[in-house]
Amino acid sequence: MSDAIAIPPLAVAGTDLALESNAVLPGGVTLTLEPPASRWSLRARTAEALGAVIGRAVPTRIGETLDGIACLGPDEWLADPPAGTVVPDGAGQPVSVVDVSARGVVIRVEGASAARVLCSGCPLDLERFAVGRATRTVFETVEVIVWREQADMFRVFVWRSFAPWLWHALKAVQLG
Amino acid sequence: MLLIRCPYCEEDRPEVEFVYGGEAHIARPLDPAALSDQDWEHYLYIRRNPRGRHHERWRHTHGCGRFFNAVRDTVSDRFEQTYKAGEARR
Amino acid sequence: MSGYRLPAGGRINRAAPLDFTFDGRAHRGFAGDSLASALVASGQMLFGRSFKYHRPRGILGMGTEEPNALVTVDRGETGPGWGRATPNLRAPSVALYQGLDAQSQNRFPSLKFDLGAVNDRLGALFPAGFYNKTFMWPRSAWEKLYEPAIRRMAGLGASPATRDPDHYDATYAHCEVLVVGGGLAGIDAALAAAQGGSRVILIDEQEELGGGALSDQALWGEVADKAMALRRLDNVTVLTRTTAFGYYHQNFVGAVEQLTDHLAPGEAKGARERLWRIRAGEVVLAQGAIERPLVFDGNDVPGVMLSSAGRTLAVRYGVAVGRAVAVMAVHDSGWRDALALKAAGVNVVALIDLRAQVAADLVSAVRAAGIAVHLGHAVTGVSGRHGVSGITFAADGTGHSQQLAVDALLMAGGWTPTVHLWSHAKGSLRWDAGWGAYLPDVPQENCRAVGAGAGAWDLGSGLALGTLPGPKPIWQTKAFVDFQNDVKARDIDLAVREGMRSIEHIKRYTTNGMATDQGKTSNLNGLQIASGSLGRAVTDIGLTTFRPPYTPQTFGALMGHHKDALFQPIRKTVIDGWADARGAVFENVAQWRRARYFPQGGEDMHAAVARECLAVRQNVGMFDASTLGKIEVVGPDAAEFLNRMYTNPWKALAPGRCRYGLLLREDGFITDDGVSARLAPDRFHLTTTTGGAARVLAMMEDYLQTEWSDLDVWLTSTTEQWAVIAVQGPLAREVIAPLVEGIDLSREAFPHMAIREGRICGVPTRLFRVSFTGELGYEVNVPAEHGRMVWEAIHAAGQAHGITPYGTETMHVLRAEKGYVIVGQDTDGTLTPDDAGMAWAVGAKKPDFVGKRSLARPDMTAPGRKQLVGLLTEDPNEVLEEGAQIVADPAQPVPMTMLGHVTSSYHSATLGRSIAMAVIADGRARDGQVIHVPMPGRTIRARVTASTVFYDAQGSRLDV
Ligand SMILES: [Zn+2]
Repeated sequence: MSDAIAIPPLAVAGTDLALESNAVLPGGVTLTLEPPASRWSLRARTAEALGAVIGRAVPTRIGETLDGIACLGPDEWLADPPAGTVVPDGAGQPVSVVDVSARGVVIRVEGASAARVLCSGCPLDLERFAVGRATRTVFETVEVIVWREQADMFRVFVWRSFAPWLWHALKAVQLG
Repeated sequence: MLLIRCPYCEEDRPEVEFVYGGEAHIARPLDPAALSDQDWEHYLYIRRNPRGRHHERWRHTHGCGRFFNAVRDTVSDRFEQTYKAGEARR
Repeated sequence: MSGYRLPAGGRINRAAPLDFTFDGRAHRGFAGDSLASALVASGQMLFGRSFKYHRPRGILGMGTEEPNALVTVDRGETGPGWGRATPNLRAPSVALYQGLDAQSQNRFPSLKFDLGAVNDRLGALFPAGFYNKTFMWPRSAWEKLYEPAIRRMAGLGASPATRDPDHYDATYAHCEVLVVGGGLAGIDAALAAAQGGSRVILIDEQEELGGGALSDQALWGEVADKAMALRRLDNVTVLTRTTAFGYYHQNFVGAVEQLTDHLAPGEAKGARERLWRIRAGEVVLAQGAIERPLVFDGNDVPGVMLSSAGRTLAVRYGVAVGRAVAVMAVHDSGWRDALALKAAGVNVVALIDLRAQVAADLVSAVRAAGIAVHLGHAVTGVSGRHGVSGITFAADGTGHSQQLAVDALLMAGGWTPTVHLWSHAKGSLRWDAGWGAYLPDVPQENCRAVGAGAGAWDLGSGLALGTLPGPKPIWQTKAFVDFQNDVKARDIDLAVREGMRSIEHIKRYTTNGMATDQGKTSNLNGLQIASGSLGRAVTDIGLTTFRPPYTPQTFGALMGHHKDALFQPIRKTVIDGWADARGAVFENVAQWRRARYFPQGGEDMHAAVARECLAVRQNVGMFDASTLGKIEVVGPDAAEFLNRMYTNPWKALAPGRCRYGLLLREDGFITDDGVSARLAPDRFHLTTTTGGAARVLAMMEDYLQTEWSDLDVWLTSTTEQWAVIAVQGPLAREVIAPLVEGIDLSREAFPHMAIREGRICGVPTRLFRVSFTGELGYEVNVPAEHGRMVWEAIHAAGQAHGITPYGTETMHVLRAEKGYVIVGQDTDGTLTPDDAGMAWAVGAKKPDFVGKRSLARPDMTAPGRKQLVGLLTEDPNEVLEEGAQIVADPAQPVPMTMLGHVTSSYHSATLGRSIAMAVIADGRARDGQVIHVPMPGRTIRARVTASTVFYDAQGSRLDV
């Protein structure tokens, strides 16, 4: 009864997981690691206050996106604007502009079954998640921001150190 | 897994996006130094723990990030309602 | 040998034979068989040994309810013991495949000759509550004698002894209507729900849709047509081999889909099982009903089984359960089964029914089929031990008796609607006298029950009995109620006589319904027997509660993705790969893995750490501090906010300067610390401990959102935005100077505890001049994507200065030499700033900060509190064990008075001796005293130092 159980070492350990630039899942869904880009976390009491400081219109409802800015909370936005956009730092103003360009990466999940792949670990009803909508949520235990750019393409924002796990968890999804 | 209505997102969201925050409507005293030891102990440690309607805080941590208040029945584990932080007790 | 394959019939494919083994013996079945049907077809009626008495057992049912025929299926390709062995599978639910290797359980040394069966001969010694009563005294005997002996005897099956090589899938799913149960009622519900375009998921645990209709040939056509119609609908997902195991709040249903266990191991590809986490708008439960056994002396002899099982074997699998079969019925369904068996070619010789009156059409049809009918009779005994050889039956059970040679006996005891999931979801039940069972009543969720599970299915009528009447008093019978836990009618009767009144007590005293089958075939019979013994109505003695899982599930399925490499995310910094390539030894800190030390040329940790420490003290070292939590605090009220959060004053901190911050919980105890910098009047760069990052951010958000929402300040986690490279040591300035642009590194322009923004190696940096080592030092913050490049550039530039990469162990030693605490190691959630020797970090003049009021509570200022102090062992080579207890008097008898414990302890190469920190009651007042650290076989003496600073107490090495 007390025989020691001999557990062989794993072929792949969690520490061996590494990001890749592309992957094709068996169901035809592709994963693509987006190149680095400038991104900011924007905070203010209202969309108007923020818009006035950064000189751009920002979405007002949680979940809405507008020209590369997603409203994540009543006082929080994620700016992922076109390359070359400069967001002023709002010094002295009642806003918070923080450069988070290097904080995370974006994994692009694309294909007819993209929603189903994400549903493997995300508890939201992504089939009914409107195109153009973005939200913070989780994939299993990892916090992500899911942004549906097109019906068959989601962008998944994730903090850097969680990205290898997420990448391989997505790759492991089995459709059918 | 419960569904919890976030009063900020105005949407039912899965429980795994939320973190429980203890009993609601326990405001931090504006001048803690003015409180007796007993009153401070009460503020720090004494909670109602009712059977039935419980006013409690939740945070939509993995969503909009906001703390809010909820009324949950501790017997049935059902949410009666949720409302924004700062709103009067319901 | 009594069962055999009928010459024709069934849904099996006779053109596709499959070879398999049971207990090493070769057998042959057909595609479409279950393990149970194939074994019965080859004459095997003995499937296992019972749990307590080791009685020989055959199959009872042919569905999920099966309590007896539990087998271990070994799917290993490389022999037994491989991690693919699964115990406790129900043989009727195991699909047959080529090469299937199944073993019986709970027997030693063999199924037919089992030593444990002595328990059965000694059955009178093992009444209900036996374990509770007997093994209570003396207590010491429990650990040494009783428990090991019981453990050896008990237990169902054996765990696999090696790693599970399979992987498992998991998914969430959403639908408007979820139907559980793929019999005709469920199929109809799914078809109706799908008409409007709703997303529908239909779940069934069997190999194919049809449920009970698969045992009724007249319904096969309807099943096939409707199943085809379902599969044509895009909005319907049909999941067979899938068990809905739990029904949780707000229509959240957990289910496990078997993906490969029905295939030969060589054909299995991909994940073994999939966990479905389904959120449904409406749930339709169509779980059907389970037939009830009859309780009489000998009802567990192999070959006695449910009537429905005999019918399923004959109609669905083309298997006769015996060459001469009798049916004991108290319900009309047994009569219909007898006719179905006869039509399938089974020799049914007698139909015995306790009822004096049965519908005339059934009686005439059965008689016309050539079956002898005995109305008003009951079976009173079964002969045979490993298989039925005959039965005795008597008028009303007690009158004139006769014997009949049969090799199988079917029991038709009526039906119990399956309300398990309904009950999981807290739906109420009502007693239905006609069914003699509880039926779904009022749901608590958007849910409805349909079909037999709702009592809405015509299975005929019958009696609901506790036990069949018989000639012997109940305590002389071996009439089984719970077959899996070996609970007999007389055990329930005994429980009542010993004072149990509620079914909840009776259940726990007898263990009725507490086996892995959760009483699917025993609960109602147990209730009826208890009702009879108590002389009270069934509805007056309560009902036990069904809880998930409906059937046992594998751990693998429940873990889903979280296995092996994906068990949990292991966070790595951008510099981790560099350390890995240089052979660093790692340790886990929170979710991060961090380089602990960098051994060279076969060094052990002690040698590597000593070398790394000396390098930092004498020259320069570099350390990956990227895991430090970071929070950017921005807004006009940023300083005001920090002033309220931290113990010390922040408002006067000038931009460009840093400050050590100590964070308390509101109860006054230290929860975190870190050095933070003011970048601008309205912008701070905070750091937290590695493990505290998320907690501190959540705590600050809590205060900001709910207490001080008037403040214009916002918090953003920047932990992963910045890679942090600590360059520490007397030569640190020389190392980075050639790489830095736009920052005057001179002592005057850039003093200790300052921050400057500029560029390093061509990329932007926030350069901190801070030190957790006591040496001149910098913490180079650069955007994470550049971290590896900058690290390598500093490493290259440092070569001329003997730069040495060091890990967390050296970091720990260096800071301990300086007496810097690590929150969570030297503090444990019960230390105030004063306890930790950090009263200096508390702004005495501040009117308020988080935790301040608590510091004035009487207990927080009382004498005798544990205080953090230094310890120097009398033997400088003795390194105390962290966590070791400290006493004043080692001669005191055990239990000694504990003064405190060691929190940090290292060998210091710099000092050439060991150093330690400890929390000790009134520690600072014990300065210079000797304390004792009792260890196994010896006691270590050490001297208390009120100060924890062991090196450079003046701090002269910092200000250079
Ligand atoms: Zn929300």
